[in-house]
Amino acid sequence: MIWFTQTKLLVLFLTGKILRFVFFATFLLFLLKGANRLAGYDANQAIFFFLTFNIIDVLSQFLFREVYRFRPQIISGDFDLTLTKPMSALFKSLMGGVDVIDLVTIPPLFVAVFYVGSMLNPTILYSVFYVLLLINGLILAAAFHITVLSFGIITLEVDHTIMIYRDLTNLGRLPVDIYKEPLKGILTYFVPIGIMISLPAKALMGLVSLPGVLWSLGFGAIALFLSIKFWNFALTKYTSASS
Amino acid sequence: MNFIMWRARNVIQIVLVFFLWDSVFSDPDRVVFGYNRASILTYVFGILIVRAFVLSARAVDVAGEVSSGDLSNYLVKPIDYFKYWFTRDISSKALNLVFAVFETILLYLLLKPPFFLQTNPLYLLGFVISVILAMFIFFVILFITSAVPFWMPEVAWGAQFIVVMVVTEFLSGALFPIDILPRYLQNILYLLPFPYLIFFPLQVYLGKLGAMEIVRGLLVSLFWAVALCFLMKTIWNKGLRVYQAFGR
Repeated sequence: MIWFTQTKLLVLFLTGKILRFVFFATFLLFLLKGANRLAGYDANQAIFFFLTFNIIDVLSQFLFREVYRFRPQIISGDFDLTLTKPMSALFKSLMGGVDVIDLVTIPPLFVAVFYVGSMLNPTILYSVFYVLLLINGLILAAAFHITVLSFGIITLEVDHTIMIYRDLTNLGRLPVDIYKEPLKGILTYFVPIGIMISLPAKALMGLVSLPGVLWSLGFGAIALFLSIKFWNFALTKYTSASS
Repeated sequence: MNFIMWRARNVIQIVLVFFLWDSVFSDPDRVVFGYNRASILTYVFGILIVRAFVLSARAVDVAGEVSSGDLSNYLVKPIDYFKYWFTRDISSKALNLVFAVFETILLYLLLKPPFFLQTNPLYLLGFVISVILAMFIFFVILFITSAVPFWMPEVAWGAQFIVVMVVTEFLSGALFPIDILPRYLQNILYLLPFPYLIFFPLQVYLGKLGAMEIVRGLLVSLFWAVALCFLMKTIWNKGLRVYQAFGR
């Protein structure tokens, strides 16, 4: 019975996710058919930005799904049980459970990225840059999720923070170049959607230099370091009040 | 908190749509898909207002009440469950509208887009009627999807996720005007109730439709409002017969 229920849920949410992807991709295709270019990018390039966004979005949802289940643990005091176990509380809270629905969508997404990416004729170096910056994007996503967890401990609020994060990353569905200053600057450096999503796609198109790649990797490492520091600080504020 | 976050999310979504179209229409004289810069940016700002009227609805919680068994609390009381939720919806829309107007003014001052102000009273009347019909259609759609937990209590949010967050979001014109799609796709979509939620009222406001097209659109909206209402009552009557108040 439980298996049947979970299968129904999986089918429903999988259908929803696929539909959302197909609808936006269709819209983008017809938009570019009429407008020809978007912020200077042609149709294939714009679609590649969208696919890269999806790769990072889906992978981070797949890996960090446990964050969505964190609030009840804090509210009920069950987080005490995590803290007493001989494993990293951060690892358990961040990556303690994966989302099977996203596991289904990841392979076809990689195929689509490979297919559209190859149409952009990247060199091997640019492809390496892309993979490195994609990993860096996931590191930044991890830093975001750790920060959300830390805020969760301090404020008991997770659901809204994570949804705001999701909405902000949605702004990366299209190249950040479409935004005007100061929003563009904010999305590039302050809420680094640009570094997280747009930069990998730009790297494959040969629009990012080696110093740019190194700077971005450094930015990712610093963001992760600071988020872990914040997590350690947040832990000192955990009162276990409900347990 | 839920309400403020819902409003914040609406604004973020509008920012994406605004800059997307702003980028496409960076040349002020450019005309694409029959829109110029002023009309498309008015459409984007119009989304914010029409969404507050149509898509902000407390009735999204009905599915949860059916699934948790809380519906029983209302069934034993001498109140009409549909009218109760419709009243709550209206009050929610009033609150959302206040915020939407404030956000629109703020975004207008920040982004300074060209804005098309409709002055023809007939178009304005058509706009108001189409929005009222859209509000009712969306309310009924929500109640139909909220009936799914009668048969599958554990998937209370699954059906709403697909119908409200995915299908309505895209096919209502809340992200892009439907008429950028090829004609054959538009013709199929116009047979569904979704374009009459956001797209049709905004087309009327922008004055893009002739008198006959407006009347025809209003009649189609009215048809959907009546047909869906009938469907909703049929489904709910069947649902209440199998309702077992799970969770109670």
